[in-house]
Amino acid sequence: MSASLTRDELAEALGRAGAGDRVAFRRVYEATSAKLMGVCLRILHDRQLAEDVLQDTYVTVWRKADSFDASRASPITWLVTIARNRAIDRLRSGGALRRAAPVEAALDLADDAPPADVLVEQADEARRLTGCLSELDARTARAIRTAFFEGVTYEVLAEREKAPLGTMKSWIRRGLLRLRTCLEQ
Amino acid sequence: MTDRAPTPAERDDALAAELSLRVLPAEDEVAARARAEAEPDFARRVEAWDERFAGLADEIPPQAPPAAGWSRIDAATAPHATTTTAAPLAANDDAPRVRFWRRWAVGSTGLLAASLAAVAVLAVRPEPQAPAVTPTPVAAVTRVATLTLEDGSVAMTLVYDPVSGELYLAPTDEMKGDARVPHLWLLLPEGGARLVGAIDGSNTSRRTLDQALTGVAGRAPQVAVSMEAPGHTPAMDAPDGPVVASGTLQQL
Repeated sequence: MSASLTRDELAEALGRAGAGDRVAFRRVYEATSAKLMGVCLRILHDRQLAEDVLQDTYVTVWRKADSFDASRASPITWLVTIARNRAIDRLRSGGALRRAAPVEAALDLADDAPPADVLVEQADEARRLTGCLSELDARTARAIRTAFFEGVTYEVLAEREKAPLGTMKSWIRRGLLRLRTCLEQ
Repeated sequence: MTDRAPTPAERDDALAAELSLRVLPAEDEVAARARAEAEPDFARRVEAWDERFAGLADEIPPQAPPAAGWSRIDAATAPHATTTTAAPLAANDDAPRVRFWRRWAVGSTGLLAASLAAVAVLAVRPEPQAPAVTPTPVAAVTRVATLTLEDGSVAMTLVYDPVSGELYLAPTDEMKGDARVPHLWLLLPEGGARLVGAIDGSNTSRRTLDQALTGVAGRAPQVAVSMEAPGHTPAMDAPDGPVVASGTLQQL
């Protein structure tokens, strides 16, 4: 398993990597690659593709590390965001073929419910997010979770929930604003 | 909670959330991303949503990365992989060209070896005539670039009119006959790039950039061309194929 770093240690290693320090870059990789691999695999459902995107992600991290600002972003969020975005880019550039797999789609929906054991282990912030999501109506919360974990657009969400596109958009937009209000309380 | 009409700030925040969550259709996403690049306030909103959603990522269990994971990344990012002359790696003082290759040639899953091979193939192809590209300037043309291959030979001339959003491309014969499809990229001043799209590598062409791209084109310091597999469209922000040519945009 990876050498775990505290948030500050990770931020510092990332900052050094941004200045060209390869030892620090390796520390970042060792501390976070299992997490980012999980994210890539969650979106792509294909080990080969996920490994590919993982590599792509760290190459991006290396070239963008100098833009990481510890005063603005949490280092792990910054990394997870890059991995998730790269995985979604790959998902979409790969065309609709993989996305069309209906059996997997059905499984994914069930998959997106928060697992009970995870809830217990979640950090405070994550627990608050889960709590605020559970205050939304179930359909909206489910759609937001699916969007996060599957990287799918409004169009796919509308299809899955068998709702008109415009309706899905307004559910989610309203849900997102309520979510923000709830998180800021 | 009542459903009053959202305020402009709320609309911005909802859009930022949609961009962070990635639910927008492709065209809207490109436009929203262009906005994030142009407006720091909006970019902050997107980052704030990245933070809010990060709690969900906590639910994703870690997975073992590939055994050779680090060595592949090490190879793809090591200084010697980005420049054939083993220039010292210093993030801030590389020559622009080296920095360009560091960002681009190795930027995607492709290895530099592939890029260099591609350049070599292009370079050894006999050059029938000196690149004779003197694009007829159109009214209000303000930005031009000459794109060169790694060996310095001219691959294309580009003229961009920020008033009309019109882009004029005049390739030389360097890319002719390549089975792959050249794609044009705008390099962003803050790093990263934006895909313009597939271009004609053999004949002169014109196109009008859509609104989402005109802002980027007006301030991009450089342009680049990658070679992509036929039928493949790379992600908006990074080529999948090798970058074979680049040039600096200059004001006329």
